[in-house]
Amino acid sequence: MAIDPKYSELVTNIENGDEDGGIEAAKGLLESGVDPLDIVQDAIMPCLKEIGDRFARMEVFLPEMMLAADVVKGVQDVLRERFSAIEVASEGRVVIGTVFGDIHDIGKNIVAAVLEANGYEVHNLGVNVDPKDFIKKAREVDADLIGLSSLMTTSIPYMRDVIDLVKESEVDRDRFKLIIGGGPVSEETVELTGADGWGENAADAVDAVRALMESG
Amino acid sequence: MQNQSRLLDIVDRAYDGPPCEERDFDLKHVAAGVARVVKEYDIGFDRSTFIQRDDDMIDRLFEASLDFLESCGVYNATTGRRMLFTGREIKEYVASAPKEAVIGEGRDAHTEVYRSVEDPRPPTIIGSPIGSPLSEDMYVPIMQSYIQEPIVDTTTPGTLDSTYGREPRTQSPYEVVAAWQEVDLIFDAARRAGRPGMSIGCVQMAISEIGHLSAISRGGYRPVDWHSIAMFSEMKVNNGLLIKVAHSVRTDGVIQSFYNPILGGLGGGEEGVAVLIVAGLMAMQLMYMAATHSSAPVTPLIPADTVPQLLRSMSAAHSALSRHTGMMTDLPISPLAGPGTETLLYEVVAAATVGTVCGASRLMGPRSATGVHLNHCTGLEARFMGEVGHAVTGTSREQAEEVVQRAVARYEPELTGKPFGKPFAELYDVAKVRPNAEWLGIYDEVKEEVASWGVDFG
Ligand code: B12
Repeated sequence: MAIDPKYSELVTNIENGDEDGGIEAAKGLLESGVDPLDIVQDAIMPCLKEIGDRFARMEVFLPEMMLAADVVKGVQDVLRERFSAIEVASEGRVVIGTVFGDIHDIGKNIVAAVLEANGYEVHNLGVNVDPKDFIKKAREVDADLIGLSSLMTTSIPYMRDVIDLVKESEVDRDRFKLIIGGGPVSEETVELTGADGWGENAADAVDAVRALMESG
Repeated sequence: MQNQSRLLDIVDRAYDGPPCEERDFDLKHVAAGVARVVKEYDIGFDRSTFIQRDDDMIDRLFEASLDFLESCGVYNATTGRRMLFTGREIKEYVASAPKEAVIGEGRDAHTEVYRSVEDPRPPTIIGSPIGSPLSEDMYVPIMQSYIQEPIVDTTTPGTLDSTYGREPRTQSPYEVVAAWQEVDLIFDAARRAGRPGMSIGCVQMAISEIGHLSAISRGGYRPVDWHSIAMFSEMKVNNGLLIKVAHSVRTDGVIQSFYNPILGGLGGGEEGVAVLIVAGLMAMQLMYMAATHSSAPVTPLIPADTVPQLLRSMSAAHSALSRHTGMMTDLPISPLAGPGTETLLYEVVAAATVGTVCGASRLMGPRSATGVHLNHCTGLEARFMGEVGHAVTGTSREQAEEVVQRAVARYEPELTGKPFGKPFAELYDVAKVRPNAEWLGIYDEVKEEVASWGVDFG
């Protein structure tokens, strides 16, 4: 789907990672009477999706994706400010991190950036995250989904700890879906840990997250 | 040169350096910094070749990386500060890097040396699955299969998938037990292979500093083993890593450093990755006083360093370091394919050739089947890596380019699949630790073909 030319200034600023420019463009659109929801659905979402696709083809790189996400956050704040009654659309809220003992974060950061580029609100807790901190953050932001990354067999047990904490809690059990990923993770790990799903790579992660969100 | 004064000077910088948010470091210092120097120094690779031969460009790559390292520094994630070095310090420290180191002891001692581009002396051969997960019952035969290969000069083990039947949780008492189990098993494998004095790269089970501090002590790993310490991508350390450094400096170990930047990450494309390798390896010389410096860059899509873009990054980066410093560098080979496949062997040909002619001091690996599939590694592929390294030693970059072109053409189409091969027990007689007819047959066939490309296996 081609993006309406009236959004081209906004889109260019998102692509260039220019936050001030993006905010200006969004304000201009609002002033000329464009509905904020249309801005999100017809400009921001398709633009972010395109950036994600370009990354998959290695035409743009991680910094561009991160900066584009920053512009979008700034723009969304403006939209929210002006129309506080309107809930700015998000595909879902995800808390993600690398589990305890593990500092590998390249893959997890890519998954986080690609999820953001696909319209999810992502809370990235970083690396070496204590099992309890995942739950704490998920409750705090009312997450839909917790994403756990582990690159080492020696940290898989900590992945299971997070999943056990959720599954054993009456409050959290039906509230947070759990998705896992990282080098040694496979279908078998899903069985071993009791996670709800897994993603083999960044593109796969988006599909898996979408499927889990749809499963309700 | 290792000494405590320098160690303290480095540690001070983790506390005195300017504070910085991690995200600002990532975007403003690393991403913007690499992009700036790639443009300013006009770094561009010849996409029609793998081995980069434009020495002017390679020299500019070195200058660009020095500039980048001086402006960016290294982020200490524990203290939230940038550890900074002046251009003069960088040059002085890099000049003090050892050009030679003796590792191992007795009959099994080995001298590793700095190598120039097209050096006539062969690289040191580190035959190893580099941290790949191994089951307890297969650990000794698998590691013996590497150590017993005469062409292998030194090794570093896999990681234990379990420790006495328990999950080896890191940062728990299990880590200590697992690190000591590694000591017991790897020395057992070395004795069985008849090479008890061989130097071992350690500690693979030191997922945190706990395993390192524990297993490098009385009755465990020795100063003649090489102590392996990482730097995180991109350009980051934490106090856990500096604790490993402090321990190895005080116990007089030979330090090996490693750092794996990512293609498509903060450094951008293949030229940016080369800047990060050169700058990162120099940074580890400064901070860790390492004897050898290693980098296995990765891609977000294919978990192997044999993809064409990374062959170019590694070729340019190793050449730049070799032309401008006396630093000893390792080229770890991380193929996608696993044992029992031709693909693995072709990947090894390409990467081993790039490393050998571009001045790497040591070829390391192969870390078969991306290093995550249980027991998917055998000593035979390390033998082949060593043979290729020795055979292409002294050849010109032009000749070597032809070999790499042919090898890549053979494996590139397979890189979108999952050619992970077979586990050790299906390719070796486990009790006798000998490759079976199937695996030897594949090895012989590929070797014969590679010989027909003009590679002289002697
Ligand atoms: C780069 C790297 C490093 C870098 C990490 C830098 C960083 N900032 O992350 C450095 C050099 C620091 C490093 C250090 C170590 N490493 Co390391 N490292 C790797 C390497 C080569 C590549 C990992 C990578 O980044 N791949 C590229 C990314 C893009 O892929 P990815 O992470 O798999 O992510 C993709 C998918 O998995 C998925 N995904 C990932 N997370 C998630 C999460 C969710 C929710 C979903 C849906 C999907 C998803 O999508 C991602 C994008 O496509 C791997 C080898 C390998 N094949 O994985 C070893 C590897 C993981 N390391 C290993 C080891 C042993 C270590 C050390 C312990 C070595 C040591 N003794 O010091 C230390 C660990 C320190 C620690 N406490 O964690 C082993 C682990 C073996 C095991 N037992 O499981 C491996 C497998 C290599 C090996 N065989 O030795 N390492």
